[in-house]
Amino acid sequence: MQRFITLIITAIMALSLVGCANRASARVDPSADLKSLKTMHVVKIPNETAGISTLIADDLRRRGYTVSESTEKVSTVDAVVTYVDRWMWDITMYLLELTITIRDAKTEFPMASGNSLHGSLTRKSAPEMVEEVMGNIFNEGKK
Amino acid sequence: MKFRQSITLTCSALLVIGLAGCASSANKDAMVAANLQTLKKHERSVSVRTAGGAETTAMDSSNIADADLKAAIEESIIQSRLFQSVVQGKDGDYDLAVSIVRLDKPIFGLTFTVDMEATWVLVKQSDKSIVLKKSIQSTSTASFSDAAAAVTRLRLAVERAAKANIEQGLQAISGLTL
Repeated sequence: MQRFITLIITAIMALSLVGCANRASARVDPSADLKSLKTMHVVKIPNETAGISTLIADDLRRRGYTVSESTEKVSTVDAVVTYVDRWMWDITMYLLELTITIRDAKTEFPMASGNSLHGSLTRKSAPEMVEEVMGNIFNEGKK
Repeated sequence: MKFRQSITLTCSALLVIGLAGCASSANKDAMVAANLQTLKKHERSVSVRTAGGAETTAMDSSNIADADLKAAIEESIIQSRLFQSVVQGKDGDYDLAVSIVRLDKPIFGLTFTVDMEATWVLVKQSDKSIVLKKSIQSTSTASFSDAAAAVTRLRLAVERAAKANIEQGLQAISGLTL
């Protein structure tokens, strides 16, 4: 039993050592013009409790967009925003990876997307992750 | 007793670090959509561009490198004879741009399910008209029976998701009249 506990603790310690991976990327479809968009709708993942959808909506509002948010898809806006969040535990829970995609509201074609991954040692808070991904997307859109 | 415990501790740490640190990139040969049944074969040339992929580092899990995805798509086109030829640069009759939007991978589990989304855009070079603009989503799994090592299991799931995405993308192109 003692050996088993030792093994589990060691495994967790060792996994935390490899928790320093980092990655941040963004792409914008050449035919997409993010500046021309006026209204967006963030599609909240049902039962998501970390408030990622609200953080994304708030970030977009700061950028001047009119934003709504619900678990339903809406086609009466210029674009819908979807996201995938992956959480990991290392002493406390942290947001390991976040992918945000801005899609054409009618066709759902991805106009722009961004992804950030931060391991335990370089972990960022959820608001910081959202800010990083959205910043990378809109910086890419300016190019 | 303390010596045995510390040996166990050290061996366990090395084992876990080893397992976590030996992630390998998706293999281009495993992503090739072999035996693809195409509706039409286009007597045109095509160039392929890829984006959105990532290199696999020792600290990361299996990713798809842009160059490997490009090679897998080109090989799939050649094997299926979907286009008459694959050319490099911008000299082709058509330009195929494939960009990975999302590659969702699990962290733990016995059966790994990977979701992939990529945009496929085919442009006619002579007038720059878009003949295909499609988002393709694919899902694939790899179970414990496929590979006991988690890193290998994840790589297999990633490769299968990419292969399925390539199959769907090329099938969509084969349905076009160019």
